[in-house]
Amino acid sequence: MWYDLLTSVFRGLVNTVLLLALAPLCEGIVRKLTARIQSRQGPPIRQAYYDILKLLGKEDIEVGESPVFQRLAAALGLASVLCIAWLIPMGVGIPFSGGDVILLVYLLALGAVVGVLAGIASGTTYSMLGVSREVMMLITLEPLLIIALLVAAVNGGSMRLEPVFSGVVFGDVTFSYAGLIMLLMVLAAFQAYVKRVPFDIAEAETEIMEGALMEYSGPKLALFKYAQMCRLVVYSGVFVALFVPWGNELMFPLGWLLFWLKVAVLVVLVTVLAASHARYRIDQAVRYFLVMVAVSFGALVLAALGY
Amino acid sequence: MSLAAKIKEVLICLRAGRVTLPYPFEPATVPKAFRGRPIFDVERCVGCAGCANNCPAREILVEDVCQEVRILKYLGRRCTYCGRCADLCPENAITMSNEFETATDEISDVGQTLELFMGTCQRCGRCFTSPTPLEELKLKGYRIDDLMNERWVFRSKPFLNEEKTVDDIDIELD
Amino acid sequence: MFILHLLNRLQERFGDGISRVDMTSDERLYLYVKPAVLRNVCVFLFDTMSARYAVGIGADDTPYSGKYQVAHNFAFDGKNLFCSVITYVDGTAPEVDSISDRIPAANWSEREFYDLVGVRAAGHPFPKRLILPDGWPDGEHPLRKDVPWNHVPENFHSGREYEFERLPEGCVAVPFGPFHPTLDEPAHFRLYVEGERIAGCEYRGFMAHRGIEKLAESVLTYNEIPMMAERICGICGCVHNVAYAQAVEEAAALSPTKRAEYIRTIMLEVERLHSHLLWVGLACHIAGFDTLFMQSFRIREPVMRIAEKITGNRKTYALCVIGGVRWNLDEDACTGLRRVIDNLEDEWRGVVAAVSKDKNIQRRTRDVGVASPGLVKRMGLLGPVARASGICIDARRDHPYAAYDEVEFDVIVRESCDVWARILVRALEVFESIRIIRQCLSKMPDGPIAAEITDELPSARTGISSVEAPRGEAHHFVITGEDNKPRRWRVRAPTYQNLQGIPYMIKDQTLSDMTLTLGSIDPCFSCTDRVETIDIRSCSHRVYSGRELESLVRRKDK
Repeated sequence: MWYDLLTSVFRGLVNTVLLLALAPLCEGIVRKLTARIQSRQGPPIRQAYYDILKLLGKEDIEVGESPVFQRLAAALGLASVLCIAWLIPMGVGIPFSGGDVILLVYLLALGAVVGVLAGIASGTTYSMLGVSREVMMLITLEPLLIIALLVAAVNGGSMRLEPVFSGVVFGDVTFSYAGLIMLLMVLAAFQAYVKRVPFDIAEAETEIMEGALMEYSGPKLALFKYAQMCRLVVYSGVFVALFVPWGNELMFPLGWLLFWLKVAVLVVLVTVLAASHARYRIDQAVRYFLVMVAVSFGALVLAALGY
Repeated sequence: MSLAAKIKEVLICLRAGRVTLPYPFEPATVPKAFRGRPIFDVERCVGCAGCANNCPAREILVEDVCQEVRILKYLGRRCTYCGRCADLCPENAITMSNEFETATDEISDVGQTLELFMGTCQRCGRCFTSPTPLEELKLKGYRIDDLMNERWVFRSKPFLNEEKTVDDIDIELD
Repeated sequence: MFILHLLNRLQERFGDGISRVDMTSDERLYLYVKPAVLRNVCVFLFDTMSARYAVGIGADDTPYSGKYQVAHNFAFDGKNLFCSVITYVDGTAPEVDSISDRIPAANWSEREFYDLVGVRAAGHPFPKRLILPDGWPDGEHPLRKDVPWNHVPENFHSGREYEFERLPEGCVAVPFGPFHPTLDEPAHFRLYVEGERIAGCEYRGFMAHRGIEKLAESVLTYNEIPMMAERICGICGCVHNVAYAQAVEEAAALSPTKRAEYIRTIMLEVERLHSHLLWVGLACHIAGFDTLFMQSFRIREPVMRIAEKITGNRKTYALCVIGGVRWNLDEDACTGLRRVIDNLEDEWRGVVAAVSKDKNIQRRTRDVGVASPGLVKRMGLLGPVARASGICIDARRDHPYAAYDEVEFDVIVRESCDVWARILVRALEVFESIRIIRQCLSKMPDGPIAAEITDELPSARTGISSVEAPRGEAHHFVITGEDNKPRRWRVRAPTYQNLQGIPYMIKDQTLSDMTLTLGSIDPCFSCTDRVETIDIRSCSHRVYSGRELESLVRRKDK
């Protein structure tokens, strides 16, 4: 009993620390790779660490409607992402096995809600525009991931995370087409989950100047940026755990390395897609996601029928 | 989606490779004809003030402090490096160098002050033969710019006398 | 001949209203009319003769005739003719009839000559301040000859603010600018937004006002102005440089040497190349497609390098003096330029082939920022904006200057009126520019690069010059004067007209499309703002030392 608790705390801490340590590295890779695609030299890979440190060291300026909520939003943004690290296997098994799909969905949605909170708390015109876009994205995006998790839960017959994250999305005994459909759907929407071009609409620098984050600077911005970097890793983690979990049970360094390799592949994919696309308009994006949500519902029905 | 177009675009990008230079860690080169900061050669300058009369940015000032001494001051603050001064200099005393990294904390670093000893003939300003009537400014006698406040006043006087303040021009300083 | 036909029509309609007619050549017509018929003549030219409105000019002629001068310039694009309708008004509160209600393209011009010269356009539909800063006292008009160039108004109301129109019902005002990542220069749009939809907007610009026209009339001399004219714009500077020189040459009946004309043509096209490539990059950046932005800048770089090699600077070529050019193209430069355009053509062909099939970009730009042919006509929109709406105008072909009458090229026209069409027009014009440069390089004659000028330029002559800038036609109007400087020099940059069409183009669009639409006219606010405000208090020169600054800040604290 005590031993179990200790292992889960230990694993959770390892995941959190690794996430915090490696997320800026992933960001660095993204930037370097983008630069190479754009024929540029690009910043050094460790630049993202410097950026966080620099922002953390800056003066904390209080502007906007309600500074308390702004601070809360900044902290909550990073906290919610870090909590997810306790629920997904990052090469060393799931740290907190008590969680289930519903808890995971809550935490994932919280990350998006924090963006809305941040925008409302600063209360300027441009951040409100960002909020309205964020909400539209939230409403259409969240169902996709929920359905993907539900398909796995239906296939595996359990809402608990351990069975869900064991590749059961592609069927327990027989092959499930629903899982394959969901893989395609989540992959197609992946840029939006990690807020990259062409779906970084809620932040669109050239349109609404970072939207909800417009009024943030210094340490608060550092936390948002950090959360954003972690988001890329965490969503990749969820994707890997749900759709390509194989190899996790390998001996310690192998399984662990394999996990990070898969994440790195996703990061590269995200970068290439982001670098080769123009940003969509919010109505175009919403229409695109609505079609995908409809298809996903179909997949859920398929899964329930056992296909 | 237009996958073929996307792939073509990515190929264009990758074929180009990295093109940005490691500047400022390695110096950037400029072509020979580059117009950088003008350099005034005090040895060659005859003090005709042709450059000062035709500087579009009014960055070259001239003040006759006495009969024999003319001060030519190039300020370099808002000089646009158009190179007209070098074009018009009859003695080729001005060269457009290839210096372009002229950012400085001390504005006088980019400027230059020439102290010229004038013979009797040159101070009339007539030694500047303008290429066309468009460069002609009909300036004769002694020229007085406001060197103290670094302002182009553009006045000339037939005789140099004691008072050389520019009292009729109200220079505004906050 | 059209010009005689036009004169006959005018004669029979207005008879005595026209007091004098000057025909300096087959391409220029100066109609001096009585103030009473000004409006009718203009409306007749615009409506019946379907001329394009080019610009309105106000000038203070009081030292010479005791009157104020107002001119409206019209262009007959198919007929290679510019017609200037000029009138003189006097009195302490001079007035002319406004033509903006019938010719909306004249809106800004009329507001401008009230602000700067103080000639009121009576009956103007929107007579608000356009150019002068908000705090500038009423009744002081800086372009009047009795105002010194360094005039600082005594009673500058630094607290006075611009009054915007009332907010429409149910809308939020979204301030767009003066500082916004999409705007490279300061301008302010107050957008009335419902959700994401833009219901309307009001423009307040002219924040980068530098007093170039006033300086030219009061301090600078003929051959100094080209270097200043070039600094009207950071991208199409050479256009203003050439346009000014041509206007003065026309007024003084000088002609530049043949070789100079070819060099001007080449450098104008080099400038168009780099400007179009830059624009494609910026448009992609606005749409969030930074990779193409970087790539078009990479492709553009050799053009900048060769310009630097020829003229000594990447961008500010300092090319023209009256009667010629300053830099010769030697054999080495010609070979270099040939190599650059060959490579550019190959690379750009690849990019255009890829981008024109890219659905992702098309989805963002099709049916966005639509400017109907009617709007183009009404507001006098120019350049790629007009050509993307199926209106085939191009000053290079319609009013040939420099060596453009000796080269062959096509005018690229598209019909879909949207941002996508503007992208295509610009992308394809790059190839036409390359064609023109090639022909010029092979045809360029030997000879001197500047004409010999032996006499002073005559005064009180008028010159019009039109140069097709990358963004449209840049129009310069010069009245020559005494003391080696012009009496009046009016610059109308293409953005001046195109920006007036923006409120119509962005109406009922979403906010994301607004930035793209604004970008699609390739706005150049410094071109538009140029002109003549005088150094107001903040501009007077002063360098503070660190300690002085510190003490200033302390004083404010107390």
